[in-house]
Order: sequence, then C-alpha cells, then structure tokens
Amino acid sequence: MSSITLAGVTKRFDATVAVDDLSLTVQDHELLVLLGPSGCGKSTVLRMIAGLEAPTAGEIRIGDRVVNDVEPRDRDLAMVFQSYALYPHMTVRANIEFPLRSRKVPKEQRAEQVRAAAEMLGLTEYLDRKPAQLSGGQRQRVALARAVVRQPAAFLMDEPLSNLDAKLRAATRVELVELQRRLEATVVYVTHDQVEAMTMGHRVAILDRGVLQQLGSPQEVYDRPANLFVARFIGTPPMNTITGPAADALAGRAVPDNVIGIRPEHLDIVGEGSGALEATVDVVEHLGHEQHVVCRLADGQLVTVRQGSHQPAPAALAPVRLAARPEHLHRFDATTGERLG
Amino acid sequence: MKDALLGYALVLPSLLVFGVFVFYPFAKNFSLALHRTPPFPGLPKRYVGLDQVGDVLSSSEFHKSLRVTIEFVLLTVPTGIVLGLLLAVLAHRQLRGIGVYRTIFSSTVASSVAAASVIFFTLLNPQVGLLTYWLGRSGELGVLEDPDTALLAVAVTTIWQNLGLSFILMSAGLQGVPDDLYEAAAVDGANGVRRFWHVTLPMLSPTLFFAAVVGSIMAFQAFGQIDILTEGGPNNETNVLVYSIYKDVFRFGNDGVAAVKAIALFVIVFVLTVIQLRFAERRVSYAR
Repeated sequence: MSSITLAGVTKRFDATVAVDDLSLTVQDHELLVLLGPSGCGKSTVLRMIAGLEAPTAGEIRIGDRVVNDVEPRDRDLAMVFQSYALYPHMTVRANIEFPLRSRKVPKEQRAEQVRAAAEMLGLTEYLDRKPAQLSGGQRQRVALARAVVRQPAAFLMDEPLSNLDAKLRAATRVELVELQRRLEATVVYVTHDQVEAMTMGHRVAILDRGVLQQLGSPQEVYDRPANLFVARFIGTPPMNTITGPAADALAGRAVPDNVIGIRPEHLDIVGEGSGALEATVDVVEHLGHEQHVVCRLADGQLVTVRQGSHQPAPAALAPVRLAARPEHLHRFDATTGERLG
Repeated sequence: MKDALLGYALVLPSLLVFGVFVFYPFAKNFSLALHRTPPFPGLPKRYVGLDQVGDVLSSSEFHKSLRVTIEFVLLTVPTGIVLGLLLAVLAHRQLRGIGVYRTIFSSTVASSVAAASVIFFTLLNPQVGLLTYWLGRSGELGVLEDPDTALLAVAVTTIWQNLGLSFILMSAGLQGVPDDLYEAAAVDGANGVRRFWHVTLPMLSPTLFFAAVVGSIMAFQAFGQIDILTEGGPNNETNVLVYSIYKDVFRFGNDGVAAVKAIALFVIVFVLTVIQLRFAERRVSYAR
C-alpha cells in the first residue's frame, strides 16, 4: 500500500475551475473521504489520481513516485466506479480476472487469486454468471472483487454505494470498512453522503466548488467546522445558523456581522422566564427515537431543536423559550463564512 | 371489431402496393421459371417443368456469374466494414474540428450510386482519367476494360460509395459503448489494443453483425455501378447475378432464364442470411 499526495493540484476545463489549488496527503493504510455536494470537484480529483484526467497544474504522487505523466494502467491503482463499469459480455470470473490478464499473471496464479477474491466477497457461486444476471448489490461486489484481486497500491472509490437501496447501503458500508481494515488498504473514497463520510473515513476532506474547506477526522469536522459551509453540510439535521438580534440574544452580547451556529442537539426548550430566545413551535417531526421541533423565531428564522422522544413534545404554535450553553456556540464571520470562535 | 376493420383499411394501400410489386411478382416468378421463352417474340411460352431450371443452373454462364458475384461480395463487404470501423474509431476522438471530418467521412450517403459511378467512370477514363494516370496506364487498356482489373475497379467504387453508411453505422455503434468501460479497462491495466479487443469489439458486435448481414444482402443485389461502369463486361468479368438477370430480360427478352436465376439468387441470399444468423449471431453480445 502507498500514500497519495496532491500538491497544488488545479484542474481547469476551459473557463471553469473544477479543482482549485488542492493540497492534501492520503496516509498509507488510511481511508480518506472526499466529501462535498454535486459539482464540488471530488470526482475530478479522484479521476486525476487515477490518471483519467490530467491536472492543469500541480503534482500528484503515489508513494514517492510523481505520476503526472504516468498512464492509468501503470499507476498500480484499482478503481470502483459509481456505475460499477463491469464488462457486460464477460462472466463474473472473467471480469475479476481481467486486471490480472492485462498484467500477464500466469494462469494458475490467476485462478487462485480470482478464487480468493470471489470468496472474500461472497461471489463464489456467481462466478459463471454474467453481470446482467446479478442484482445491484452483487454487481457492486464484483466491482470490488475486481479491485481487490490485484492488491494494488491504493483503491479509488467513486460513490460506490449510491446506486444501492438504503438498507443495502448501510450493510455494505460496514462490509467496506471491514474490508479496508482487513487489507490495511489505502482508500480514497468519494461521496456526497455525509453519513458515509462520518462512519467510514479516518479523515474527511470537504470540498466546495473545487476548494478544500476542511480536512480532519469526522469528529473534528463535526465539533469544530472551519466555516459556515462545513457547519451546514455536516450533521443531520443541519446546524442552525442565526443572524441578527436573535444571534445577539443567544451569544449574550452584540455580535454584528457574525453568524451564530448551534447544533440542534445543543438547543434546549426551557421553562418560562429563562432562555435567551423566544420562538413559536412550527412543526414537530417524530422519528421514533427522537423528535425534531422546528421553531420559528420572532424575526422569521427557523431553528430546529433535537430532543429525545421521552421528553414531552410541545404543541404546534405553542410559544417556547430556547437556551444553549455558551461552549456549544459556534461563531462565523457573516461575510467570509470563516470560523471565529 | 371496428378497430380491426379500420386497421385493415389503413393498411390496404400498402398491401396493394406490396401485392402488385412484391408478392405477385414473387409468385409469378416461379411460374415464369417453369416456362421456356420462345426465341422469337409472338410465339407462345412452353411449359417445360424443371428442365429449364436444370439447364440454367448447369450452364457455364450461370457459374461464372455466380463466381463473379461471390468475389464481388467478398471484396466489398469485409473491406467496407473494416474501413468504416477504422474511420469511425479515428473520428471518435474529442478533437476540435472533428465534426468536419465526420461530415466528410459520412458524405457519401448523400450521393447516389449513379453519381458515384459516373465520377469513377470519369476518373478511370483510359485516356484522360486521373486514376488511370496515377496507375501509370494512360493510353493503355482501360482499367474497366481489362478483364483482370474490372471487377476490382467496380468493387472499389462500391466500397467508396458505401463508406458513408458504414462509417455512420460504426460511429453509432461506438457511441453506444459507455466511456466508463474504457476507463475501467485502462485502470485495470489494458493498453489501447487490449481495450479495442476486449471492450470495443465485443460491445460493437451487434453493429458488426448487422453490417455484415445487411451488407451482404445489399452486395448481392448491386446493380447501378455495374450498369454504368462496365455493363457486365469485359468478357462477363463483372456480370454479377443481378446484372445477368437484367440482361436476360431487357436485352435478350428471356424471362424464363431470368426467373430461374432470380430464384437462385433468392435462395443463395436466404441461405447465407440463415447461416449468419445461426452461427455468427452466437458470438454477438447484446448485453449492456
């Protein structure tokens, strides 16, 4: 396994800057998640690492080797595509075997490696079927088997779970984490789903419009978001961001040009007389294990409060007061979005 | 019930046209084959049963015509597919201005067989033709008059004429190959040749199969270029079956013989198509 380093990597498509001066290192044996909304450049970064796109500027290294001018087939990587990209005319066995045949691995060795990869991913009984005869989850495992059969320097995964239904996605997430741990693999994992990012990544790199917003462990990124974008992107339900007099009230002092952030689980509904914020209950969403109380402030801003379902839910249109502990407040610059405190 | 009647009423004009120009002639052909045409017009036809069929099928003229036809098909169909595929692969890149090349490569679909044939006829003129000059044969026996080269010249004209359609077919086929398959193959370690062999060709196999079947059928029925370039000569070296049939009817007034040849042609094309469908189609992968 190898580390992967991007140094000042930029990608321009005519006038559009898809990736802007990105520098980061994927440590050896690490699963790094590239997270961001559609169009943020994360897939472009992955494709540049794979060699399917050439960077406009900057350097890409796999281990110690600069690979900017190295063909994809010589980079010793394996990639799992969002659409799986299985060869439709080949059997599962032939699909898994393909990377080995391309590298002229001798026949007996090939057969053994294919058998091992198929077993690791539970595909042994499907080896003679064609992709069209498999379910989505099975096809995804064939794509994975094709990637692991070679033991490459690193794995690249482009939203591999997004075509699966929710339940299968959750189960496969766990399997992928186990697989990564067992192989001690270096993985670059692209997704727009923050739950995947939080649960799978050792570290998360959040991108927006080609620019790296923050790089850190899932907990770091959750507890101390570097800017408003990260703050709003990570967390379900999203962090509440408040401006104006309500923000001043919550902060306990005047904070002009600031946006105050507070996570829904850190807001409490308190009794009459106390509590910094006045609000009216808009909607209560019951999720079974918890409830989300959406409240409207005097100036119309909406905030969400997260409560355990054992707590009595307030009635709709009821007036409430909200409080938060000062250590849970986040402060951002209203213009730049950068974190202030 | 009313829907069915309306349906039939709407189809009736087409049925009439088919009936007059296809079904009736097809059936009548069998009758014609069994009657010998008299040497002088005005005399009645004689029913001879299968004698005429036997005579025609064993004649050296028919055999030569058959040989010429098969040579012609073998020259034009595979070459046309390979060249069309080559051009399609070349024009499949995302280069600036590639659209111009695509237009040029597909342009022969816009020309008629007659127009293409006249162009080549002029280019192959024994005295002043440009191609004649390039071949170093100016003033000598014309390419179209030389029994050794006439069929080749007609084949080249045909390949040129069909290149546009072949290119369009192959280009359409290529566009149906998902890009991520090429990318997956590249990351998997395949170079250009392997990608072509293991991704492009298998994914293109339905198109190649279609081009081969339809191309063969069309090649067996080639007429226009032969009529304009060589009229079946020299020495019957370009006298393909269809042209031979044409001459039998319109030059020699011999419908009986022509009818036998027409049935022979039908049987040959039918059998060839069935063979292609049974054997070649097995290797075609329709999976996507």
